[in-house]
Amino acid sequence: MTSPIEALRNGARGILPWLVPVAILVVWELSALFGWLSTRILPEPLAVLKAGWTLALSGELWTHIRVSAGRALAGFAIGGGLGLLLGLLTGSFRKVEIALDTTLQMIRNIPPLALIPLVILWFGIDEVAKLFLISFGVFFAVYINTFHGIRSVDPALIEMGRSYGLSGWPLYREVILPGALASILVGVRYALGFMWVILIVAETISAQAGIGYMTMNAREFLQTDVVLLGILLYALLGKLADVAARLLERRWLRWNVAYSAA
Amino acid sequence: MQIDNRELAQVEAVEGGSGGLDVEVSGLVKHFGDRQVLYGLDLSIPAGEFVAIVGRSGCGKSTLLRQLAGLDTLSGGAISLDGKARDELGDQVRIMYQEARLLPWRTVIQNVALGLPGSRAQVRARAEQALAQVGLADRADEWPSRLSGGQRQRVALARALIHRPRLLLLDEPLGALDALTRIEMQRLIEEIWRQHAFTAVLVTHDVAEAVALADRILLIEEGRITFDEPVDLPRPREHGEAHFAALEGRVLKRLMTVEALTPRNQLRGRVTEILIDKVLSEVRLLTPAGLVSAAVPTSALRELPLELGAEVLAVFKSTEVVLATTD
Repeated sequence: MTSPIEALRNGARGILPWLVPVAILVVWELSALFGWLSTRILPEPLAVLKAGWTLALSGELWTHIRVSAGRALAGFAIGGGLGLLLGLLTGSFRKVEIALDTTLQMIRNIPPLALIPLVILWFGIDEVAKLFLISFGVFFAVYINTFHGIRSVDPALIEMGRSYGLSGWPLYREVILPGALASILVGVRYALGFMWVILIVAETISAQAGIGYMTMNAREFLQTDVVLLGILLYALLGKLADVAARLLERRWLRWNVAYSAA
Repeated sequence: MQIDNRELAQVEAVEGGSGGLDVEVSGLVKHFGDRQVLYGLDLSIPAGEFVAIVGRSGCGKSTLLRQLAGLDTLSGGAISLDGKARDELGDQVRIMYQEARLLPWRTVIQNVALGLPGSRAQVRARAEQALAQVGLADRADEWPSRLSGGQRQRVALARALIHRPRLLLLDEPLGALDALTRIEMQRLIEEIWRQHAFTAVLVTHDVAEAVALADRILLIEEGRITFDEPVDLPRPREHGEAHFAALEGRVLKRLMTVEALTPRNQLRGRVTEILIDKVLSEVRLLTPAGLVSAAVPTSALRELPLELGAEVLAVFKSTEVVLATTD
C-alpha cells in the first residue's frame, strides 16, 4: 500500500528530471515567437515538429530512418560480432592472445575517423565505406571488454567448475561466459553509443539516403528546422539504443544485485 | 559407534557401489617452485572414516587436501583410492571450499544440479531432494546473493552430496561462519556423513570442530604428520562435555609443544606483564634483546597458565619477522 503522500512524492520524482528541458523549450519557443531569435540560427520548436510531421506524412522520414538504422545495425553486427569472437578467443587462449593482442592494441589507437581518406580510396564513397567505418569503430569497444571480461572471471569458480566435472563447452556456458557477461555488455553499450557518432560522420561524407543525407540536403536549402530534426533524431536513436542495452543488462544480469535493483 | 559406521560403509560399498573410499597416500611430496610444502607424507584412511586434519596455517594441510581433490599435480609420491590411481575414481571425490563458490548467475537449485547428467525433470527432482536434505527446499529458485553465509555453505554441501561422493573433502568450510551457525553445520555434516557413510577428510584450524566431528585427528607440522590420535567419544558429541574438553586440551597442547620444539628463532626471557583480552592476550617479556611483546590466544593461556616472572622461551617464525621503527 502506498499512501497518497508517497504516491505524490513518487510522481514528483518522475516529473522533476523533465522540468529543466521543458522550461528550456518554453523559453526557446517564446523567444522565437517574439523575434529575439532568428529562424536562420534556430527555428522555433514548433517548426521542427511541423517539419517532422510533413516529412513523416510524405513517408520520406521513415525511409531515412530505416536506411540510417539499417546501416548502423549492420555495422554494429559486423564489428561487434568480430569483436566478440576475437575477444572470446584471445581471452580464452593464451596462444591466440600472444599472436593477436599486440597487433589489435596497436590498431586500437587509430581513431576511426582518421581512416576516412584511406577508406574513401579503398571503398569509394559507397555503403561499404560506411559499413567499414562503423564496424571499425564498434569493434574495439566490444573486443576489449570481452577480453577483460573473460580474463576477470573468478578463478575460484573455474576451479570449482572443473572439480565438479565441467570442462570444454559446459564449463564455458555455465561459468566463463556468464562471468564475463557484465563486462561484455558494458562494451556493447559503449559500442552502441559510438556507433551513432561514426554513423553521423560517415553519412555526411556522401549518401543518397539516411538522416545524414537529409540534414546535409536541408543545409543546402537553409532548412534549419529539418537540420534540427535530423540532430534530434540522432539523439533519439542513440537513446533508444542505450535503453535497449540497459534492458538486456537488466534481463541477463538480473542475478546481480547492482542491476536487479536499478 | 565408529566401528558400526565403518562396517555399514563396507556393506553398502559391496551392495550398491556406494559407501566410502579407501584412501592411501604414500610418500607425498609437493613443492611450489623452491618452496617445499609436503615432505613425503604417508597416510591411510579406511573407508567411511571421518578424519580431521589440524595445524597452523601454512603447514601444508590444505595442500594435502587439494592433492586429494586432484586440483594440483603431485611433485612426488602417490595417492590411491580403493587401490586404484586417484584419477580413475576422480568423479567420486567432491570438495567443499572455505567459500561456498556458488555461481551467482544460477539459482540455488541450478547450482546444486551443476554438472549432473540426466533429463531436466530427473535432475530437478534430485536437486530438490538434496536441497531438502540440507533444509533449504523452500529457497530453490532464489539467487545465491539472497542467502546468508551459512545457507550458502549448505547449498554447497547439497551440491557436493548430489554426486553421491564416496570421499568428501572439506577445506575449512565453516571457517567464515559465526559460532552458532557453525555448530549447526557441524551437526548437519555429521548427520549426513552417518547417513551416506562416505569417507570424509576435514581440514580445520578449530580443534573443537575436529574433536566434535572426527573419528581421528591428525596434526600436520612442517609438511609431516606429527600427531595421530583416534577420538573415542560417543556421537553426537557435546562441546562442554568433560572428555571432549580434555581431548581438545590435549590436542591444543600438542599443537603448541610441537611449535615450541622447533629450534629456530628463540628469545629467552622473563614474563613482566600479562594483558588478558577476550580472544588474543598480550604477554610482555624482558629478554636480553629488550622488551618483547607476544600475542597469545587467550584459550592457550588458560590451558598453560603463565606467571609473572616465569622463565619462558619465545619462538617465532623467521618468515613472520617484521622490522619497524619505534619512537
